[in-house]
Formats: sequence, structure tokens, C-alpha cells
Amino acid sequence: MSIGKQGIDTVAKSAATLAKSARIEILNMTSLAKASHVASSLSVIDLLAVLYSGIANVTPDNHEKADRDIVILSKGHAAAAIYSVLALKKFFDSSWLNNYCGDGAQLGGHVTSTGVPGVELSTGSLGHGLPYGLGIAISRKLTKSPGNIFIIMSDGECDEGTTWESALIANHYNLNNLCVIIDRNRIQSLDYTESTIALEPFIDKWRSFGWDVIEVDGHNYLSLAESMSEKSSKPKCIIANTVKGKGVDFMENTVLWHYKSPNDEELSSAISQVEKN
Amino acid sequence: MRNTFIQTLLENAKKDPNIIFVTGDLGFGVIEDFQKQLPNQFINAGVSEQSMMGMAAGIASTGKRVFVYSIGNFPTLRCLEQIRNDVCLMNNSVVIVSVGAGYSYGSQGYTHHALEDIAVMRALPNMNIYIPADAVESKSLTNYLCKDKNPSYLRLGKSGEPTLSNNSRGVIDNKIIDIKNGDDGTILFVGPIGKRALLAAEILHKMNIGVSVASVPFATEIDLDYLRFAAAKGPIITLEEHSKRGGFGSIILESLHQLDVTYKLKIIASTQQNLSEIGSQDYLQIKNSLDEKSIVDAFNSIR
Repeated sequence: MSIGKQGIDTVAKSAATLAKSARIEILNMTSLAKASHVASSLSVIDLLAVLYSGIANVTPDNHEKADRDIVILSKGHAAAAIYSVLALKKFFDSSWLNNYCGDGAQLGGHVTSTGVPGVELSTGSLGHGLPYGLGIAISRKLTKSPGNIFIIMSDGECDEGTTWESALIANHYNLNNLCVIIDRNRIQSLDYTESTIALEPFIDKWRSFGWDVIEVDGHNYLSLAESMSEKSSKPKCIIANTVKGKGVDFMENTVLWHYKSPNDEELSSAISQVEKN
Repeated sequence: MRNTFIQTLLENAKKDPNIIFVTGDLGFGVIEDFQKQLPNQFINAGVSEQSMMGMAAGIASTGKRVFVYSIGNFPTLRCLEQIRNDVCLMNNSVVIVSVGAGYSYGSQGYTHHALEDIAVMRALPNMNIYIPADAVESKSLTNYLCKDKNPSYLRLGKSGEPTLSNNSRGVIDNKIIDIKNGDDGTILFVGPIGKRALLAAEILHKMNIGVSVASVPFATEIDLDYLRFAAAKGPIITLEEHSKRGGFGSIILESLHQLDVTYKLKIIASTQQNLSEIGSQDYLQIKNSLDEKSIVDAFNSIR
């Protein structure tokens, strides 16, 4: 899609507002539920905020229509991020967020599609989103149907073999309706990505598989909107450099906050930081 | 059986553009017709079973009926979690087709023996399992699966299996299909190994024992009325080219358990004693006591 400079400015402005509200929801949700993955959600939230502020053609009104754009959050552990965005965009009632991970809740700690409007695929086991989205992209190519497919992955997820299988297949079938966006926060479950299973030179890897690769600041709404709306003749990979825990200084760039949930004191400190930004 | 499947699928796919065929780079000499005639309904996913299965689920989510084709354990065990999450949990309209059930690829070694697939696939939610005995059942099941929408597993032999009976056998609901009738007991089987059940029935006939021999092509939910009748009639033997652990015999045993009846049952299945044994399908069936003599002995031991 091409939305012009003015369109990009509008998207970036809405995304900033959306991301700020979503960050507060994420902090509240993970604190209340004593849930993990707050930092993963804070790193990916700006990508989601831009997508849902006018880049991806998916709304509460068209999310069941065949020609909608598809957004799949393959890093399903950042459930709080996508749920807060979908609630703020009114895909479902925001009261659902209050019972996140609770008994009988609609919303659990990993992304679940059943009964949750706007969620395309249940994820949580890494490496599933890309092959699935690839299938949708191929099907639309075969039937010459419109619409883009956006897959948001974590960098640690790229350890999965399906990532590279699918990277081969997408190139072979020339799926330029497919866009992978990688939340490159450089931290995975136990350590930094480069100390775990090194991904660098990351851009070269994707490029050598035949993809268009764009590297951007994953917290810059304008750059994100530009990269996502840029047309490509190939499958596209946006490597969005992010900071795990972005927006809350004591959560930023630490492995600990992959797991820990904020207590009351940490919560109020975190929220005041987000509000000031 | 394999050729019948492909030809039947092709006939259906010509009429229904929503039928998509995905192969994991297998089917040489079998799938070319489909590829040539319906290139827009044919995808080779390469040697990447996990991505293939996720992709198949994604294609199905756009309103297609997707047949994923490969051999042995590749479209089942190799991509089990993709089947569990992307196909079953999402209830996507995918039919997994595995060619080479049991010891079909006997001489190719244990990596190519498909002996745990029934046990594994039946553990998955929303998954229906279909096991044709011969080309006749293969055709009627394929026709049925082209119209159906549910996640399904079609377990095929390879090629050259004998037709067990020329009677038209439409596969209806969960019916058990009698190939032969007898009053003294029942041999229930899945798949082409049914030919050995018929041979056993002939031997028993010479001993003045009449047994029914019945194919169970729909192995997910068993026809309990049939089973109640069989239990009252006499001994029941189950026969499968699959591991004893959690396979067809277990399905029948669990089904009998649901019924408040007394029964005599022997499960004939592979005990997988020597995983490295090499040989033809016939050789390995005999080595694993899946032959007619073993069936007769089992029957007589509980008569």
C-alpha cells in the first residue's frame, strides 16, 4: 500500500497516542494477573500501534471480510500487547482486559483466536505464524485476491527452522503480499540473542534468502509507517530495532523482565514514566 | 490405492477450485497429472514438513479444502505440533494424506515404517482418522473427504494392494463394513492388511469355524451397535499394521469398555521388537506376527 507523506504523518500521530494508552494497559494487565512477558509486550507495542493506526486494513467492521489485511502476532507471548491494542481499537470490550489470565477469562497469557475478534491465529509456540501467514499469502496469490499479510515475529523466534523454511518458500513463490516484521530487541528467554544463538549478520541472512530487507528504529512511528507502507516486488522483512521493556527504565534491556510482573510500587512508577513520555 | 486416491482427488478438484493439493516434494510418477492439469491448485512446499503443514492450515483458513500429501511419518510426526495448533486447534479444513502405512516401505528401514501414526493422530482434538482397506474404499473415502470440512487424516497403503471385495462400499458415517460374514466370531481390521484376515478366515472355515471379517475405515468413533453384536457372537480379533501401543486395538478395547458387555478380545499389532529389521512388507508382517497363522492362533486361544 502507498499512503503518501501526509498519510504517514497521520498514522504516526495516531500510533503514538495508541501506543501510550496500550503501554499503560499492558502494565496494568501484567501486574494484576501477575503475568510474565511485560517487557516483550513493551518492545513490540509500537509495531502493533503503527499497524493498527491505518497501515493494516483491518477494523472491527471488516475483520471477517475476505479481503482484509491479515495481522498475525507470531510471538504469542506478547499477548498483552495485541489484546490491549485490539481493545483500544474496539474489536472487543475493554473490560476483558481486566480479567487477563483469570479463571474463565476470554484472554490468556498467549494469543488465542477462539472467541477473540481480530485475532487470526492462536500462537504461543514459536515459529507458527510465518508458515500460516505464508499459506494465506499463497492462497491469495493463487486466486489473485488483494490484501497484505503482516507477521510479527520475535528475534529469538528466528532460531526456529520454520522461519528459514518459510523464507525459502516465500521467495520461491514471490510472495510480495507478505511482510515479516521482526521485533529485534536482542534478548530471548535466557540471555541476549547474540550470546544464545547468534543471528548476525541478520540483514544479510534475510537478504540472501531473496527478501527485501528494511532496518528501522522500532520505536520511531514515522520510520515504521514508512517501511510498512512501502511497496515491494518481493516478500518484505522489516527488522525493527527495539528495546525490550521500552518506556520503563528499570525494565529496559534486562532478561529479568521477560518473566517478572510489576508489583504495586513498580506499577505506579512504570505508569508515571509512560505518562510523562 | 495411492493412484486411486490421486485420480479421485483430481476428478473432484476439476469441479471444485477450492480443493488445493500440497505436496512435501513427494509423489514422483503419481502426482504429475494433477500438477499438469490444475497448476493453480497445486503447490510443492519442498522438503519442509513443518512449514508445509502451517502453510496448509493458512491456505485452508481462506476457505479452501487442502490435501497435504507426503509419505510415512513426514506429514504426521515430523510436523505434529503444526497439526495440533494450526490445523486442529484452529479447526482448519486440512486433510493429511500419508502414503506408505505400516511396513509398505519395509525394505527402506525403520525411518520409513509408519507404525505410530494412528496412536498419535487419534490423540488430537477435532481430528478424524480414515483408513481404507483397498482401492474401493480409498475412492469412496476420497470422494467423501472432498466434500467434508473437518481436519482429517487419510492413512493409505502404497500400491498394488488387492481389492478385498468388489461390492460397492460407500463409506457411511462410522459404519463397520463386513467383507465376509460368519457366526462364530469377528476379525476387525484397518487397512490393506485385511487380506490376511481373509486368509485367516479361510483357514478357520476349514476348521468349521465361521468368522466375520470387517473393515473399519472410519477409526475415530466406532460403531458401538456393531461391536455389541460382535461381542455377543464370539471372540473378536483386531488386526492392524501399526504399533500395539495406542493403535486400532486400543480403540476397539476402549470402545468395548464403554459397552456393558462381556467380551473376548485379542489385539494383533506390531510389538516393534526389532526396529532394525529390513525386508519386504510381507516379510515384516510375518516377522511381527501379523500373518494369518498368528490370527488363527489368537482366535483359537480365546475361543
